[in-house]
Amino acid sequence: MRLVIARCSVDYVGRLTAHLPMAPRLILMKADGSVSIHADDRAFKPLNWMNPPCTVRETATDDGGAVWTVTHGKSGEKLVLTIEEIAHDSSHELGVDPGLRKDGVEAHLQELLAEHITTLGDGYTLVRREYPTAIGPVDILCRDADGGAVAVEIKRRGEIDGVEQLTRYLELLNRDPALKPVRGVFAAQEIKPQARVLATDRGISCVTLDYDALRGIEPDIPRLF
Amino acid sequence: MKFRVERDVLADAVAWTARTLPVRPSVPVLAGMLLDAGEHDGQHRLKLSSFDYEVSAQVSVEIDVEEPGTTLVSGRLLAEITRNLPPQTVEISTDGAKVVVACGSAKFTLLTLPVEDYPTLPDMPQLTGSVGSDAFAAAVSQVAVAAGRDDTLPMLTGVRVEIEGETVTLASTDRYRLAVRELTWKPENPELSAVALVPAKTLADTAKSLTTGAEVSIALSAGKTAEGMIGFSGGGRRTTTRLLDGDFPKYRALLPDTFNSVAEVQKSEFIEAVKRVSLVAERNTPLRLAFSDGQLVLEAGTGDEAQAVEVLEAGLEGDDIQIAFNSAFLLDGLNAIDSDIARLQFTTSTKPAIITGKPAEDGADADYRYLIMPVRLSS
Repeated sequence: MRLVIARCSVDYVGRLTAHLPMAPRLILMKADGSVSIHADDRAFKPLNWMNPPCTVRETATDDGGAVWTVTHGKSGEKLVLTIEEIAHDSSHELGVDPGLRKDGVEAHLQELLAEHITTLGDGYTLVRREYPTAIGPVDILCRDADGGAVAVEIKRRGEIDGVEQLTRYLELLNRDPALKPVRGVFAAQEIKPQARVLATDRGISCVTLDYDALRGIEPDIPRLF
Repeated sequence: MKFRVERDVLADAVAWTARTLPVRPSVPVLAGMLLDAGEHDGQHRLKLSSFDYEVSAQVSVEIDVEEPGTTLVSGRLLAEITRNLPPQTVEISTDGAKVVVACGSAKFTLLTLPVEDYPTLPDMPQLTGSVGSDAFAAAVSQVAVAAGRDDTLPMLTGVRVEIEGETVTLASTDRYRLAVRELTWKPENPELSAVALVPAKTLADTAKSLTTGAEVSIALSAGKTAEGMIGFSGGGRRTTTRLLDGDFPKYRALLPDTFNSVAEVQKSEFIEAVKRVSLVAERNTPLRLAFSDGQLVLEAGTGDEAQAVEVLEAGLEGDDIQIAFNSAFLLDGLNAIDSDIARLQFTTSTKPAIITGKPAEDGADADYRYLIMPVRLSS
């Protein structure tokens, strides 16, 4: 990732022509070869950009400036940056990004709930996380105080499809003579009323999880206990 | 089935029964209201029932029955219709698979639901005792205000009911405040000792709606074998609700018994001042109270934001104290006390304070206590 802050003007030459007058801007040159020009607003959205594959040719001009020409490898469209002055120029090796993990909280909730399994009730014991079934692993299998098997499905937001998923697991788990009867617990930070109705109708109990309490994060507001 | 009933009697009974209709019925019949006209205990009566597997409600009113019978119709629709009928005698009759509601010049034809699919309402547990309905409703509303609304700790969404002979103690807490009320009642068995955790919202609604009768009879299912259930009845209405599981916190240990300062303030002036001053308090910013000899200074807002100050007369015994509260929680407590003078007892600015009404006679214990956790004084 190369970051350049420079006073530049930009001309796009291709199917459309566009011109950005001389002004200070941020130029991002990414490892995939893409180039984008940003102003100090609009969050992620560049003023102008060139998608990969493309090549960059840098030539110095007589007056101490430079002209960078970004050429698209297939269409031949060009982005011409006329640089008057460079304020910042640095390159950083970022490596491969692990990607956005939307289910990070869910995995963490599973880990935390397994650690504090008695959140579900006194005397609960963990059998294992990711208990395998023929159609995929169920988040947690545990036993209640009376030794009955309990399958737990964990979600951040508890919606109808989560209940459906747990129902499928329960159907399979209840075919196992060593486990049955298996009860279901639908655990989420927030459970939608519709999901709660469906769960209750199927005999699945709902548990609302407090992520902060499981993580041991105390609220700022003092409490009685 | 055919019977006649006055519109007001019917509308009241239907409206009361409709309160417990489930919002999202998982089985269509649960959206129904059961109408049972016939002879019950030697009288012509109409019984209306609703049930959502958590809460059941049944009301019984005297009517003229021409032809006894039972039918099930959409409860919401019946409630809407009866509320809007003209003030005349209503005649309800069945016509094949339909129910006809006729009143004055208006006539409605409703579809029926299959009566045989309707679940049997749970039996009322055995009568445990009774209490004046107004006193009960007042006590419940004083306590229910402090109950939690968050499902992460289901036991805090309930009101703990402790019965010890002739004394009933109600308590609820959401961890920021705790409300405790003691009242006397007439137990069936003076030796009785029992506890129950009743969903706060249901209890508050029930207590309020049973003030039509002079007394409320309370029936608590005994023993641990049966599923926990509590029933309330009075004025021809009876309702049951399932109890909550879980251990209620040991709240008595939270109530301090020694104090460094005790302040007394006119309640209505105090409430008005809190409402005014907290106008400038952004959400979650505290209302600051400074008690010194003869006066109470209320302040809210800080720094570059809007600020408000108000000074009230107040009596103070003991040390001067500066303390800050969430204004909504403070108002809940002040509104709940049943005295013109609010008494506030403090230990320090970081320890919980107790709000009570000033007892009628000096030295008497207040029967209602509202414990409130202060927030940090921000300067």
